[in-house]
Amino acid sequence: MKLERITIENFRQYCDKQRVDFAKDEQKRVTVIHGINGAGKTSFFLSINWCLYGTSVENIKIIDNVGELMSKEAVSRAAIGETIRTSVDLAFLHNGERYQIKRMLQGVKLIDGTVKVEENDSFSMMRTKADGQAERINNPIGTMNSILPANVREYFLFDGEKIDNFAKPEAAKQVKQAIYLVLKLEILERSRRHLEAVAVEYRKELKNKSGQQLRDLLEEEEKARKEIQKSRDRIYEVHQEIDSAEQKIADIDKRLREMENTNILQQQRDRIERELKQRRTELEEIVSTIQGLATSGYFVVAEAAIKKAILLLEEKRARGEIPSDFRQQFIKDLINKMVCVCGRPFDDGSEEHRTLLAKISHGLPDALQDEVLNTCAVLQAFEQRTEKHRADVDSAMRRRAELVDIIRSLEAELDDLSRQLKGSPLEEISKLERNRENFKADVREYNFEVVILHTRIDDLNKKLVELKKEIDRARREEKREVLLSTKLDLAQRAADAIGEMYQSFADEMREKIQDKTKEIFKKLVWKESHFQDVKLGPDFNLEVIDRYGYSARPELSAGERQVLSLSFIMAMSRISDEEAPLVMDTPFGRLSSHHRNAIAEHLPTLASQLILFVTDEELRDEARQNMEARIGAEYRLEFSSKTSCTEIIEVK
Amino acid sequence: MQKERLMNLTAVKIILGVLEQKEHIDEIVTSAAKEV
Repeated sequence: MKLERITIENFRQYCDKQRVDFAKDEQKRVTVIHGINGAGKTSFFLSINWCLYGTSVENIKIIDNVGELMSKEAVSRAAIGETIRTSVDLAFLHNGERYQIKRMLQGVKLIDGTVKVEENDSFSMMRTKADGQAERINNPIGTMNSILPANVREYFLFDGEKIDNFAKPEAAKQVKQAIYLVLKLEILERSRRHLEAVAVEYRKELKNKSGQQLRDLLEEEEKARKEIQKSRDRIYEVHQEIDSAEQKIADIDKRLREMENTNILQQQRDRIERELKQRRTELEEIVSTIQGLATSGYFVVAEAAIKKAILLLEEKRARGEIPSDFRQQFIKDLINKMVCVCGRPFDDGSEEHRTLLAKISHGLPDALQDEVLNTCAVLQAFEQRTEKHRADVDSAMRRRAELVDIIRSLEAELDDLSRQLKGSPLEEISKLERNRENFKADVREYNFEVVILHTRIDDLNKKLVELKKEIDRARREEKREVLLSTKLDLAQRAADAIGEMYQSFADEMREKIQDKTKEIFKKLVWKESHFQDVKLGPDFNLEVIDRYGYSARPELSAGERQVLSLSFIMAMSRISDEEAPLVMDTPFGRLSSHHRNAIAEHLPTLASQLILFVTDEELRDEARQNMEARIGAEYRLEFSSKTSCTEIIEVK
Repeated sequence: MQKERLMNLTAVKIILGVLEQKEHIDEIVTSAAKEV
């Protein structure tokens, strides 16, 4: 999707009709719209949102107060009884076709000077195909939604004021939601749910048409599936409870950080908790290394047998039995020719003849001798591997023991800190800490419940596998309703397949986002050597790791947080399938010149089209130079205090 | 990129038709079942 042109009529402070052509070339893809505070940048930004999605779509609020959309100047100019029209037209290209959309709101001026605004706005869409054929689209809202879904809108049309939302310590929920929506996880989940619902209906229908045995089995299957769904729903609820408890803990921590009597203790706790998290991750890695060594260390079990085999072969070698000084075939040839090793002929039964015959009977056949020598080499390699393996296991086990000790001592430090806070003579501090402890206990209990629920689901899934075999057998015996049975079988298998793949797809997408965010963050942040890594773990916390391996997020400045958030949003738009323009309202707000310059340089390369609303301070000097070659259109917003209207002036 | 990845993600592979982006789903499943 590439925006071509917008025409705004009587929208907020934009009186009459005004038009802007957006830059959309491969080389010059940036449109810059300048305006001082209050000149109308946000209104312009809002007009694009309103045109695309109206005031709300799918329960998502786009604009709060519809009454404020109409230009006050246009209303004051209108005569009593006159119709006033507010509209926004937008032309854009998508998949090689040109679209024209128009949203319009009308109102009539009443005798008391107010306006009676229509309840609903009108929205229409025209499409011109590549061959020049134009057609009116009958389902404009649905079509718009399939071009750029409303629920991912805010990741492409975003407000710079809210940009650091993703990098706040408590933003895990928003990060998770963003990934869920933009990366099609929602579509996957919805598909699974709908397929499951269709399968339930098929099962009901089949049950009504089946014999008793099959009916009982289907009923049992239905019961097991309902229980699985119930457990899944409960897991979802428990996760919500965990989020809520963790939010309350974060609020208490924030309060303790702000209080004069507790800020040092709380900072100590922050530091210990960060280290504890890191050590636990390290411990998980070590445990998985040990498990890996255990599964690949099967040859250690055979160590005694290997040693014995090597000893036996060494004895044979010492006795000269292997390798023989002559190969068997050579001796056989000599006997056949009746010739000695030195070339002299000998007689049958002579001493030379007897010696050669003895060599044949005591030596090993050639092929077997080769095998024995090979085995000897393999066994020695195994022995060396066993020693290395044992050393690796010893070292990993030692590290594991060290980490367990470190974790215990960190936990003890945390307990001690908590005791100090609980024992504070100030009632508020003591109460806050007691509450915190209760929330922590809640989180532990909830996590335990999740484990139990997952175990329950695993057991039920095993039961379903057995039931399916019995149902298949009963169905074959009944041989009725073959089509309906097949429909049930396919729908259920499709729903199960999505469920099976969902988590691995979600993990893969999360890792892709993490890598892309890191790549962009390192380009945009000026202390790139100080920040070693960006992590987006299974808990969806966006973490920055410093060169010492510690979490750097608590120390990030407001500007760095904004850069991290921007990197995440850019990564999302790059990894997603949406080919949408990036429209940004005051993106450089709190950034220092270092960050501004880097973003101005890299941002145009990260989006196929970029529309920036900036204040006069935001894009100047080096930042301006860095973007200059990419700017294809530029406008200035001039607010007139005489008419309270904004005029859009093209900058030549 | 992502759509390809979803496609890659071993008659059931119905899933692509359903991938939303119940009557419609029933049509897709029925046509695939008509396997028989």
